[in-house]
Amino acid sequence: MIVLLLAVPLAGAAVLTRARGPLAAALHGLTAALTLLLALATAVAVFRTGDLTALDGFLRADALSAWMVALIGLVGAAAAVEAPRYVGDAVARRFYALFHLFVFTMLLAVTTDDIGLMWCAIEGTTLASVFLVNFERTRASLEASYKYLLICSVGIAIAFLGTVLVYFADIQLFGDETYALRWTTLLRLAPGLAPRVVQLAFVFLVVGYGTKAGLAPMHTWLPDAHSEAPAPVSALMSGVLLSVGIYAILRFKPVVDLAAGAAFAGRILLAFGLLSMAVAALFLWTTQNFKRMLAYSSVEHVGLVCVGLGFGGAWGVTGALLHIANHALAKSMLFLLAGRIRAAYDSAEIAAVRGLSRPLPRTGAAFLAGMLALMGLPPFGLFTSEVLIFGAGFREGAAAAAALGLVLLLVAFAGLLRSTQTMLYGAPAGAPPREPSGAWPVVPVTVALGLLLLTGLAWPPGLDDALGRIAKIVAR
Amino acid sequence: MTTASNLLAFVGLVVTLAIVWRQSWPGRLRLFAAQSLVLAALAATLGLLAARPRLLLVALVFLVVKAVVIPRVLRRIGAGMPVRPVTPGKSSGVALLVAGVLVVVAYAVMLPVKAATELPTEGAIPLAFAMALIGLFLCVTGRDAFGHILGFLVFENGIFGLALLATYGLPGIVEAGVFLDVLVIVLIMEAVVGEVRREHESIDEQRLRELRE
Repeated sequence: MIVLLLAVPLAGAAVLTRARGPLAAALHGLTAALTLLLALATAVAVFRTGDLTALDGFLRADALSAWMVALIGLVGAAAAVEAPRYVGDAVARRFYALFHLFVFTMLLAVTTDDIGLMWCAIEGTTLASVFLVNFERTRASLEASYKYLLICSVGIAIAFLGTVLVYFADIQLFGDETYALRWTTLLRLAPGLAPRVVQLAFVFLVVGYGTKAGLAPMHTWLPDAHSEAPAPVSALMSGVLLSVGIYAILRFKPVVDLAAGAAFAGRILLAFGLLSMAVAALFLWTTQNFKRMLAYSSVEHVGLVCVGLGFGGAWGVTGALLHIANHALAKSMLFLLAGRIRAAYDSAEIAAVRGLSRPLPRTGAAFLAGMLALMGLPPFGLFTSEVLIFGAGFREGAAAAAALGLVLLLVAFAGLLRSTQTMLYGAPAGAPPREPSGAWPVVPVTVALGLLLLTGLAWPPGLDDALGRIAKIVAR
Repeated sequence: MTTASNLLAFVGLVVTLAIVWRQSWPGRLRLFAAQSLVLAALAATLGLLAARPRLLLVALVFLVVKAVVIPRVLRRIGAGMPVRPVTPGKSSGVALLVAGVLVVVAYAVMLPVKAATELPTEGAIPLAFAMALIGLFLCVTGRDAFGHILGFLVFENGIFGLALLATYGLPGIVEAGVFLDVLVIVLIMEAVVGEVRREHESIDEQRLRELRE
């Protein structure tokens, strides 16, 4: 199953390098649909029957992998639906091929049991997406992709340094090279690893993978790349690529907890999380560009996830995991809508699209719903996960940090509200939109909003159980 | 083995410091190739002395990728740039001072690692880490795309040295993945930098400052 899940997007990407015209679009749709189906099937299989393994344990999907696979599948499909609007025929196959390669690298990162291969896959996500960021070939997007490539390459090299140190601590206890970098091996040996070395490694790993996850102060590439990329790519990057960075940190956390005591990793994550929230809250008030606004909001939410993990406990971890999913759904949908708005007005400036809810009522309504979800208002899922996260803070005796987090959340909320209000209901800007038809991406938006309502109002049967199983993996 | 690894790591660090000191880009490029050569020699020496034949292969691949192919690509990236920075910027005195401080920092940070091992190569571990830190410093302070990429590669070399000295190299598949990654990064960098040059007629960092709040 895992092999098939990985083979489909990879084969799709390979075939798409040769396809042209309508055939390319059809193949793109087919690959995306199959990937979604296999991703959901994998997730269901894992939650129904237990962990899947393949290739001598090299590939392995447990509950945490399944959670990520399902998210990548869903957001990938939503982005794929919108992709044809953004690519001309001449460049379609290159775009589609890189798109599926990008999805493949993310899926590989979350389904391998080998730390080294996970590192390679996460590096691969950067390499596959850098040309997608520069797809519109403007000066700004070129600069964004240069920064993205350089900063993320350095970040991932720092993560490699951490990986080397983990391997160093590990190989002394465990002689066999082939299996030494497996999660399963590492977790078994964790209590005996040299605590100081593991702590040092974790610092490098958090800084390194945190760069990919968009944690402040390593986030500087993020607003540029996420705002300059075409909307479907932004949706994938903000929705799931950041979470893949968090996933890597999540995998190392139990190892550190077992080797060096529970408090260390939590404190580091809490510090980075609060800093990210603070930086994002500040920039949400100053940014003039709505795609950048969404990007900074991603920094805020990644910070929030880390705060939840830092608080720990059953509530903190469950809340963080749920928040990853909620944010992926809300943010990807908003980026797709932002892409439509940008196409209609030919501008991503907040001032240029003022009062858009009059000429584009349906897009405006959907955007409003998404923004309200993103701000963490009920009845949407982000409200639930934020309550869980901050509840964990007060329960686990970190009341001061939780209170600070709530204040930052409020500042960010107000900043988002102000910009949204201007965009939707401000005095209309002069030029009428180029595309007054009121078209909006119905399917992805409906699905995302529906799922957000589900996680907010009534958890479907099995969700509680699934989150509990993942929490057991993360918090030992 | 201790003598050999210490000596080679020390030579590597001296070459790294020379990269910090040199101003002309072809000179720094030659020094980078020299650093890669030293690290390849280190891998080969460890392979022979510790009876790990796989490290000989690693040394060979490293030699080809880091000392031959990548310097060629870097030469293409640098082509057309003035040999020395046109604006007589900071002298390298301050940079060398920072690099010296970084060596001390490297020793301090690597203390727990040294304490956790009995390997004959442990004495050289901080030297390799110092190379990595200096590379990171070069990358962050680089004045143009060439400087950024060179710094990144020196950083990468330092980590490779650290992996060699601390663990005698990582498992084969990871090692292969890393070489491939570095190569692809540099090739993509070349493409991106080529486009930057067409757009801006320069790869000076000052021209890449449009996306600011």
